[in-house]
Amino acid sequence: MSTKQLQLKVIVLVLLVLGIGSVWYKNQVLGFSLTPEKQETVWTVESKITFDGDNAPAEVVLSMPENRKDMVVMDVRNIAPGYRFNFVNRDGERYGVWKSNGPVQGRQELFLRGTVYRRNGNSGNNVSPVPQEIVVDNESLRKAAVDFVASLDRSGSIRQRAVHLLQALTNPVNQDAVYLLKEAKVFGGKIKLARYLMRKAGLQASSVRGLFLGERSRKQKLKGYIEVADGDKVLLLNPRSAEVEDADKFLVWQYNDKPVLEVIGGSNSSVTFSTLSSKILASRAAVAAGKHSGNFLVDFSIYSLPVSEQNAFKLLLLIPIGALVIVILRNLVGISTSGTFMPILIALVFLHTTLLIGLALFLVVVSVGLILRSYLSHLNLLLVPRISAVLVFVIFIYVAIAVISHKIGLSAGLQITFFPMIIISWTIERMSVLWEEEGPKDVLVQGGGSLLSASLIYLVMQNRYVGHIAYSFPEILLVLLAIIIIIGSYSGYRLTELYRFEPMIKDK
Amino acid sequence: MFTTPSKLRKAGIVGMNWRNVRMIAQYNPRRLYPQVDDKLKTKLLLAKANLSAPELLGVVKTQGNVRELEEFLADCGPFVIKPANGSGGKGILVIAGRDGGKFVKPSGSGIDIAEVRKHASSIISGLYSLGGRSDVAMIEEMVQFSDAFDGFSFQGVPDIRIIVYKGYPVMAMTRLSTRASDGKANLHQGAVGLGIDIGTGRALKAVQNGRPLTHHPDTGKELATFDVPQWNDFVLQASMCYEITTMGYLGVDLVLDKEKGPQILELNARPGLAIQIANDMGLLPRFEVVDAQDGIERTAAERTVFARQQFVA
Repeated sequence: MSTKQLQLKVIVLVLLVLGIGSVWYKNQVLGFSLTPEKQETVWTVESKITFDGDNAPAEVVLSMPENRKDMVVMDVRNIAPGYRFNFVNRDGERYGVWKSNGPVQGRQELFLRGTVYRRNGNSGNNVSPVPQEIVVDNESLRKAAVDFVASLDRSGSIRQRAVHLLQALTNPVNQDAVYLLKEAKVFGGKIKLARYLMRKAGLQASSVRGLFLGERSRKQKLKGYIEVADGDKVLLLNPRSAEVEDADKFLVWQYNDKPVLEVIGGSNSSVTFSTLSSKILASRAAVAAGKHSGNFLVDFSIYSLPVSEQNAFKLLLLIPIGALVIVILRNLVGISTSGTFMPILIALVFLHTTLLIGLALFLVVVSVGLILRSYLSHLNLLLVPRISAVLVFVIFIYVAIAVISHKIGLSAGLQITFFPMIIISWTIERMSVLWEEEGPKDVLVQGGGSLLSASLIYLVMQNRYVGHIAYSFPEILLVLLAIIIIIGSYSGYRLTELYRFEPMIKDK
Repeated sequence: MFTTPSKLRKAGIVGMNWRNVRMIAQYNPRRLYPQVDDKLKTKLLLAKANLSAPELLGVVKTQGNVRELEEFLADCGPFVIKPANGSGGKGILVIAGRDGGKFVKPSGSGIDIAEVRKHASSIISGLYSLGGRSDVAMIEEMVQFSDAFDGFSFQGVPDIRIIVYKGYPVMAMTRLSTRASDGKANLHQGAVGLGIDIGTGRALKAVQNGRPLTHHPDTGKELATFDVPQWNDFVLQASMCYEITTMGYLGVDLVLDKEKGPQILELNARPGLAIQIANDMGLLPRFEVVDAQDGIERTAAERTVFARQQFVA
């Protein structure tokens, strides 16, 4: 017995750890929200490439934004008739490549659209990698840079020092700054100059190009910014204004020094970007991001099914929760029901009809059915013909309810068809046998117990939070299983027994 | 209205979950169920072990057997036809005697052979069995009830239920039908539950609907005078059922025949807990006494002696 008990405990523990662990993982790492209404902002980013065809086959190469921990680019779609499109990897970086099907001439427009989603709880903490630092041959420039850095105030936070450096660089009175800016080309541009100086000043800096995800903006160009590591955060600095910008809304497109766009067989090429923000449900965003990154928990889950099947599972996943309610009501409370899982099926009907209408319809069908069935008792029919006869009665009752309620203008009566006929027939049969064997009191107790259970299950199932958790975290079923196993081996008293055996306690 | 779990535990009361998890699941392996659920199998087991039960006269297994009924019953005494897999006393036809070609029921009304045949045929087709499965009809000798319990029941003759735990009879009771229970012996429908002392076979306490009472509400009989004759035989027979079924938690139902003494009517693998209410006593302390005997080999007779010494009021 003790080994059995141990086995049980181990199973329960494993189920709990697996269930709660994967729910935690999906919530914390994959961004699945625990509440149904939580929304996330996503941005649709569209890049538009234009160039003039040179009457030759054209090849267009656009560098792709990086997928980083905090920003996920998903659902990339290409709109460019007459071109073949695919992604290629070069030196570990991703490019989109269009190849024309033949010679092109005149103005060409290519579009690439993607959805960008910022994962919650993962913001920042990785500075873009830094390419090889520039080596400056010019002695006087090198000296000016050293002097410039030496003149800076070395106290204060990293943020203050970085901002201070950029302010000093744009200060027209600073001789070194003016000289360096004039010769910025040697460094590969002003932004790389700023990066060079920051490194010399001991800051961990890198230059990136990207765009801000505004609510609605058109014809943006990629702009250069400087990232500076500040502890476990990343500061995004605008070298033009010497200000710190909101890194949460910045999409890093590129962090190397290579060109963004290359066009072979065309001229006057340019690329512009427009962004549009929208709100979607957090769980949808998480599913899309998970699919995009090929996460196992998302990829091999019900989310990989077609939408119609997903909806079927939305309902199916609620049934174990109904079963848990039944287990609790029967084994912990001690309510008796007619047919073990009949209340779950009735609760599923209530989901269609709403509670009060469902209860009213159920009572009408079962009571009329019981009256008709009582006549069958005199005939002493065998079981299967008896049930079949009840089934025919049930159809008659359905038709009668539907027609009568339709005639008097109660559309609610038409919902009678949601009730599963076989279950209703069996319920009537069981109640009828119970009436004959035990009397009407037991019928009321069991019938009442069944309806009470069905109503409770309905209330649980139609709860938005329960539905959301069951669908977003099917792993919760493992936890459910653990609870059911625990209750299954519970040998304590039921709530109703505290009442049943109470007379035996009183006189002691 | 409600009491607390700790008070129930203190009173040693066994709850449903305890019964199912700690008693039935542990001591009554499922493979043993058919021998008590199928009354024909039970009957054969009892006969093999020489335990007394109403004698089996014949079995109607096929519709062909039904046609042979008339010839078979020609020289039978009073008999009972019942389904082997029936429940709740359904489908039992009692024939107390003959009146020419008629079969006379205890109520005095007579029926002819065609109706007896129809009844047997209905049993075979599964009219009274659980789930409508086809069944067999058993024909057994009618019990000549002793008049020792006259006046204790509104209708019918009370039977004695003894709970046997690991072969030790631990608690006993009888259920007396009342007008309120519609002649049925179900406690929760208003029948009187009467606890019987394992040691003496005399009435202990009586309850109806959870309240104690001293006299039968319909017959007015003083319940304290209930005294089971040949009590040792009752307890011994019940105790011997452990050896033949090997079930550790068993309910044995017996009746008293005028001439043949205690007769085992049926065995139950899931005996209910109402017996605690009838005895106004929890089962747990008695289980513990028996558990303390683990490892001691005793015959049924020795167990009976032990139980009658231990479980006396």
